[in-house]
Amino acid sequence: MIEVDQLRKSYGTLTAVDGISFTAHPGEIFGLLGPNGAGKTTTIGCISSLLTPTAGHVRIMGHDVVREGPAARRVLGVVPQEISLYDDLSALENLNYWGGTQGMRNPLLRQRIQEVLAITGLEERAREPVKQFSGGMRRRLNFACGIVHQPKVLLLDEPTVGVDPQSRVRLLDLVRAQAQAGTCVLYTTHYMEEAETLCHRLAIVDRGKIIAAGTLAELRALLAERDLLRLSGIFHPDAARAALQPIDHSEILQADEHLLIVALPEASRRLPAIFSALAAAGAEVRGTTLTQPSLESLFIKLTGKELRE
Amino acid sequence: MHFLAVSLRKDWARALRDPSQFAVALGIPLVLAVLMSLVFGRQPATPQGRLLVADEDHSIASTLFLGGFRREPLSKMVIIENVTRDAGRARIERGDASAFLLIPQGLQQAFLMNLPYRLELVTNPAQGILPQIIRQTLGIAVDAGSYFRNGGAPLIEVENVALHETKPARSFAAVFLPTSLFMGLLFLASGTAADIWKERTAGTLRRIASSPVSMASYLMARVVFVAMLYLAVAFAGVAAAQRLAGMPVPNLPAAALWIAFSGTVFYLFFLWIAVQPATQRAASVLANLIIFPLAMLGGCFFPFEWMPTWMVTAGKLTPNGWALSQFKAILDGAVDSTRLATCAALLAAFSALAFLLTVRRLRSVFAV
Repeated sequence: MIEVDQLRKSYGTLTAVDGISFTAHPGEIFGLLGPNGAGKTTTIGCISSLLTPTAGHVRIMGHDVVREGPAARRVLGVVPQEISLYDDLSALENLNYWGGTQGMRNPLLRQRIQEVLAITGLEERAREPVKQFSGGMRRRLNFACGIVHQPKVLLLDEPTVGVDPQSRVRLLDLVRAQAQAGTCVLYTTHYMEEAETLCHRLAIVDRGKIIAAGTLAELRALLAERDLLRLSGIFHPDAARAALQPIDHSEILQADEHLLIVALPEASRRLPAIFSALAAAGAEVRGTTLTQPSLESLFIKLTGKELRE
Repeated sequence: MHFLAVSLRKDWARALRDPSQFAVALGIPLVLAVLMSLVFGRQPATPQGRLLVADEDHSIASTLFLGGFRREPLSKMVIIENVTRDAGRARIERGDASAFLLIPQGLQQAFLMNLPYRLELVTNPAQGILPQIIRQTLGIAVDAGSYFRNGGAPLIEVENVALHETKPARSFAAVFLPTSLFMGLLFLASGTAADIWKERTAGTLRRIASSPVSMASYLMARVVFVAMLYLAVAFAGVAAAQRLAGMPVPNLPAAALWIAFSGTVFYLFFLWIAVQPATQRAASVLANLIIFPLAMLGGCFFPFEWMPTWMVTAGKLTPNGWALSQFKAILDGAVDSTRLATCAALLAAFSALAFLLTVRRLRSVFAV
């Protein structure tokens, strides 16, 4: 279990994490979703006791990470965003070392290494130097090193960045398997679809704060099942706002000279009316994108901006 | 202990995958020494020495008496340095000159009045050629004086006192090899220390920081590995220097142990330097800025024997200067156990400080 209570981390005048609180339970995949720079990695850094919080508390399986650091880290597995492996060693040697740092000994370590090599599909290449591995294989080994000691809590910091689609699917399956085995998984990502398909509960983070949290269904409910209509072209923002005012249940999330984002129910059926109103207001629509209610549309609704890649 | 074993296994595996870095660091000075040995041979080095003179007569006769040493080619081989009687005795006891000549008061008077007179010459047995040349030149001057004044009957005698031999004569390569070995050791230590940047770039240092292993344990395991590695390299290096270049090594295990200890101290020093800058490039520049003057001053580019006195005094205050002086004492078989223990304690304290400061830096900034 991970308990984060009013966590704050500042660097001088910059506050990277500003009062974040959440609890993740065993067997659950808890997602931290947000754009780059939102504070996800800093949060992971504080939880893994790499960084000392400026304020607040973090407990892992009841151990405070500041006061009982070694005890907390003993039940923790970390899969960092960057590949963290010895390139000149083989997969087997890497697993031996990282398992050993967690206090694992043979024969249990040997047995566990065989298991993780099997589940990550690296058995046949286990004795080759990691520098000969493809990017996807390295990602899988990076993951294997984080779970070799069967941690009770697993932190995954954007583990699928730069991974090919096939390896991504495999990695996500591995994460699900960990949660099914009873591990408490904290998963950070800025890929909306990944969070939607993987996480049991989510917290959306922006500028160091949690701006929404709950299950996927709870978060979708915040959008009131409205579609998201994104119009590009040339607009007079005030005139466009005024033109769309009479359209029932519509909400303008963003309006500037080149982009108009509107949330409204049954948008596809109401497109002709919207185009007419905008044309009457002197707008020139050049492109239209319609999306169903999603975490992305929720993020735009909550922050007024798109999720940055 | 379990982590130590795990870490050593990993470090040895990594080192054996790329042994070229160690071979290069030790290979360069060894090749240099072998080449020098081939060029200059294993014979003692070209004679050049120092004659300490305590002239208590301060007369025209004593000045004329020393005239022979001021003429070429002897003036190029022997430097005359005026000293007091006590300073001269102390320095020749330390082997700090080729010979010490005491001219007691009364030389001129004895010469003019045909009175018996005795000069005292103390020679350094560690030097083979120069003391002989000095003794013979002095003999010629004494004979000439006696002949001129008394028709050949000896009035002036030279009492030659040869000290007990403390240092064997050393070949050119033997003088140069300890220097080149320590130069290699400095570069090896700096290179091994720079590996911390590879660990940081690879993200493995960060992963260690989020494991139950403390930074102090991690670093201690690295230090143990480095000491073992340097011991293996030192045994090979010293044995090669002994065999290929004729370096006298009376006690190979002691020499290898001292090199391994010194190398580990240098490693910790360079590691502390390596973790200070914000970029790997800056760390490399900083290490080079430090290593070259340190090597130059501490006798790791040119032997202390070839350096001016002021530079030797300053150089022996550097950590590599201390370590090199004791290494030479081990090679000469003239170890002063008190001095060796003091030097070892100072180096150990120096490295302990570097260890603590590095752990602090790793924990707070470098590894996170």
